[in-house]
Amino acid sequence: MGTKRYKGIEKKQARWGFAFVVPALIFFSVFNFYPILNAFYTSFYDRRALSRLKPKFVGLDNYIRLFDPARAASQLSFYNSLKATLTFTLGTFIPLLVISLMLAIFISNLNSNKAKRFLQISYYTPAILSSVIAATIWMLIFDPRGLGNQWMNILLNTPGVDHKWKTDPTMLQISTMLVYFWKYIGYFVILFITGLATIPPTIYEAATIDGAHKGQVFWRITLPLLKPTVVLVSIMAMLQCLKTFSTQYMFYTNGSTRAPINVITFNIYITGIQDQYLGRASAMSVVLFVLMLVLTLFQFRTTKSGENVDY
Amino acid sequence: MQIQQKFNPINLLVYAVLLVMLLFTLMPIVFMVTASMMTKNQILRMPFNWIPESFNSINFKRAIVGLDGNYIYLRNILNSLVVSITVAITTVLLGSLTGYGLAKFRFRGRNLIFIMIMATMMIPFEAIMIPLYMVVMKLKIQNTYVGLILPFLVSAFGIFQMRQYLSTFPTEFLDAARVDGKSELGIYWQIVLPNAKPVMATLSILAFRSQWDNLLWPLLVSQSEKMKTIPQYITGFAAERNTDEGAMMAAALIASIPMFLLFMSLTKYFIGGSAVYESRKG
Repeated sequence: MGTKRYKGIEKKQARWGFAFVVPALIFFSVFNFYPILNAFYTSFYDRRALSRLKPKFVGLDNYIRLFDPARAASQLSFYNSLKATLTFTLGTFIPLLVISLMLAIFISNLNSNKAKRFLQISYYTPAILSSVIAATIWMLIFDPRGLGNQWMNILLNTPGVDHKWKTDPTMLQISTMLVYFWKYIGYFVILFITGLATIPPTIYEAATIDGAHKGQVFWRITLPLLKPTVVLVSIMAMLQCLKTFSTQYMFYTNGSTRAPINVITFNIYITGIQDQYLGRASAMSVVLFVLMLVLTLFQFRTTKSGENVDY
Repeated sequence: MQIQQKFNPINLLVYAVLLVMLLFTLMPIVFMVTASMMTKNQILRMPFNWIPESFNSINFKRAIVGLDGNYIYLRNILNSLVVSITVAITTVLLGSLTGYGLAKFRFRGRNLIFIMIMATMMIPFEAIMIPLYMVVMKLKIQNTYVGLILPFLVSAFGIFQMRQYLSTFPTEFLDAARVDGKSELGIYWQIVLPNAKPVMATLSILAFRSQWDNLLWPLLVSQSEKMKTIPQYITGFAAERNTDEGAMMAAALIASIPMFLLFMSLTKYFIGGSAVYESRKG
């Protein structure tokens, strides 16, 4: 009787376990797997929202259109969107990475725990504002009469110059990067401080006793041991930047030109929702998905090998 | 071993950098607060005067009454609260239920289901918003709370966190409760949930913030003024031909106050929440 009854309990248990995960499974099927498959499917059709016409199968036409060299010159082409996204991503994540790592090391080396905590919390504060609010504040700062010009002119000693934060194409790109940098810097500082805390202090002590100076300690000890964190943080930052939308949208509604900040998500939104070309927008979505998938898989691979670090 | 640090120019440079960054991160926030009390001319005056001459409540009035005088901002704030709070609750409940099922039960296909759920982390929302938009159109739930909430009921990340946390929970407690004749749902509700409070706090704040911040999805599903959320309302202020800077800053400040209060009272979970991402490594 023993084993039979035990088997019965096990079966009952299995049923309960399954029952607990079924709701989530249904949710993900309907709101994740179905949509991504649907995006692939729709990307092969010429489909318009609010149209009575049946979607027409067009094969790879939507993709060919996206990467059509003849269209590449057009200001609002997908090719241009890729460029804008890449510029934004590189221009944001590299300064974010370098400066947040530097700040994290500076903060970790402070003696006062109060100062450490105060700085971390202060740097993090912009992150609690929503992206839209961050963008509105900076839009005012970037006004021709705003603080941005006043600060820049003090720094560069160029009184009365307008730096065209919102009108010059390059400056507009820099402005959006700055907003993003401002919002996320504290978040990445904290990630790095967490990473630095995992390096045992005995290693530093040993190095100091051996006579290593600060530069050597950084390049030979801190950076190699921090590599898993650096890789993880940089890929996370890249994934974040590739998805940027709110900042660009706000600058656009405020009257800035679209082309320099027409990032992929923004292009998907305009093409799919405003212009109602669902097929074309789906093709863009698929490209974005593949782009991010490659990065994520890369992240999994590198972080897996990072786990083998032994101190 | 405490290494005595002598005064040297490098330390001075470090302090200078930290101070400059402090000014850079905090000044725009101070600017928002100051500007919310100023007239347009004062906000865009060169040089900017950091101390407002007087407290001017007219901006707040205009922010709340709105451009059409219909007090729609109050409704939009309510919408944001409803969506953010609901998503926070469902994320925690569904996340813990699923995480518990995956951590403490053995059944066929368990690993496959876990892998499938984790795989959804690789699907960015931005890539599926167009198909989701089509689903919403088909179900005719645009301009409803259901439409705003449905795609965010639970996150794979939340399930992952819950599973990791609950797998360390001693199974003997669960078995003891079973012997006492407690039902499985009772065990989940009375034993598992109360023991998952730290993860619940972190996850609910994360979920609340992401919806409070969400602009993209409401842009797709909420076209009627009544169903818009805070980010959409503020966008509307910036889009006006004659942007009302003071009212825009006042509206932004009003929207930020709940987050500031949450942050001040639950700093640990905010900052812990970002550190939680670190554990994705595992």
